[in-house]
Amino acid sequence: MTVSLIFIPILLVILLNIPRLSGKAAYYAALAFFAYQLIAVFFPEAVGSAQFSQVLGRWFRLNVSADGISKVIIISTAIVAIAALMTSKPFIKYDSRLFSLSNLMLLATAGINGIVFAKDVFTIYVFVEVIAAASYIMIVLDKTESSLEGGFKYLILSSIATVMMLFSVSLFFLVAGGTGFREISDAVRNFGGNTVVMLAITLFMSGLLIKGGLIPFHAWLPGAYGSAPAGVSVFLGGIITKATGVFTLIRFFYSVTGFNDNVKMVLLITGSLSIVIGAIAAITQKDFKKVLAYSSISQVGYIVLALGAGTSLAIAAAVFHIFNHAVFKSLLFVNAAAVEKQTGRRDVDSFGGLGYKMPLTSATTAIAFLSAAGIPPLSGFWSKLFIIIALWSAGCRGFALLAILASILTMAYFLNLQKKVFFGEMSPNLEGVKEAPLSFTIPQIFLCAITALAGVGFFYVIKVLIFPSAGII
Amino acid sequence: MNYESLALFKLYLITAPILFVIGIYAIMITRNIISVIIGLEIMTKGVTILLAAAGFFNGRPQMVEPLIITMIVVEVVILMISAGYIINIAKKHNSLSVENIKNIKG
Repeated sequence: MTVSLIFIPILLVILLNIPRLSGKAAYYAALAFFAYQLIAVFFPEAVGSAQFSQVLGRWFRLNVSADGISKVIIISTAIVAIAALMTSKPFIKYDSRLFSLSNLMLLATAGINGIVFAKDVFTIYVFVEVIAAASYIMIVLDKTESSLEGGFKYLILSSIATVMMLFSVSLFFLVAGGTGFREISDAVRNFGGNTVVMLAITLFMSGLLIKGGLIPFHAWLPGAYGSAPAGVSVFLGGIITKATGVFTLIRFFYSVTGFNDNVKMVLLITGSLSIVIGAIAAITQKDFKKVLAYSSISQVGYIVLALGAGTSLAIAAAVFHIFNHAVFKSLLFVNAAAVEKQTGRRDVDSFGGLGYKMPLTSATTAIAFLSAAGIPPLSGFWSKLFIIIALWSAGCRGFALLAILASILTMAYFLNLQKKVFFGEMSPNLEGVKEAPLSFTIPQIFLCAITALAGVGFFYVIKVLIFPSAGII
Repeated sequence: MNYESLALFKLYLITAPILFVIGIYAIMITRNIISVIIGLEIMTKGVTILLAAAGFFNGRPQMVEPLIITMIVVEVVILMISAGYIINIAKKHNSLSVENIKNIKG
């Protein structure tokens, strides 16, 4: 499973470019690969990936392996990528742009799979840069003024982050004599109090916090999410920042260095700052996509807050919330794209009563935000419950209370959004608006079904995917 | 590591952060988007020196060589993309000033 999921997308990109095929071919090839990825997680033996890695093993020797956390991320990536690609299609006028977008999404997915399976901090750096390079180009595919600006800010801040990570990789090399996870964790165990090791951990963590868009490192995030093309925001908001920032943070602390008290305190404070400030900023926003961008900061805050507790249950809760966030946030971005496509604007105040014209979009938005605010039985409730239980049992009771209270803030900005856009008096300039076409409704129903089913059948999801990832069962 | 090489190594350990800080300072102070990228490159160079020095003083230069080569390749890719950004921003605004990319308010 591991080698094939990294190499098949890269091979596909080569095959699609020599000779150059049409945009439609690239689109269907990418969709087929994402579906394959989804199947490969559940049936690793059935899809011929063992034979593939055997053939490839003659030329390459990769130090990769899969564990429970990687499975969850791989599933989320495949789900979000399918939704993102289907959402992008109606916005694209030229065949060549569809071709570029499909190729870039394949490359970004290869990068995410690489990060997820890596067992080496330098490999993580390389794949982070692969994802970053692909997303810098995806953001400016439309070449609008605002996307150039948002993308350039993203490029600068995220390059500073990767340089910081690289600085820490070289410090680790100095201390440990290698960049593998095992060498580094040995070195941390032996010289934990050393200044150089502390500096290396701090730099790596700061780099990842910038990548994840946590407050106070969030300056790039609203611009990049808000100005990217519709489908690309689904991909960026749903999985890219979570895979490069938050997942790598989990991997780094859980599998490599382990938690100490200073790290936990930093994570708890950054997490709670992000939850509160992100939610308050989301209330004041006027642009549909920027509300979602700030809510993304707030939800990532929950994941990092859970990580601050540092126990196995907390890791499981964080991984579960990554999965839930990927599903409901991409559903919300798909709905923002549907509204933008059907009405041509995103200013929240200019709508009203859109729910009469677009009932499905309205209903799925409501389900997504109820899940985000943590209303049972939707899946977001269970992950927030686990986060709060983990924080409480780890002794961080104040932070657990803060997580509960901040759910009200989440509810506040989403209710505000839902009321202004979909409920209330119908504004007269929405007369001719129709329900979104199939390429929006299919991802909407698909994602909505996942969030509802994962909520109702949460016991099964937790038993099969979430708890094994943190080694609880 | 004997005393002499330790002193030599301290030289590298001081140089690398200095280059890093110069790069960050250049990014913050400049009014020109090309200089922003140059600042970024200065930071990366500092890290490259540190990585090479770390390999040398660890007695494993052969392990660091592939890392540095990979790093240079990645760096060039990012540099190409930022050059593309700069060309497009310059075409849109007909200037290279940083003011052009300060319009979005969070």
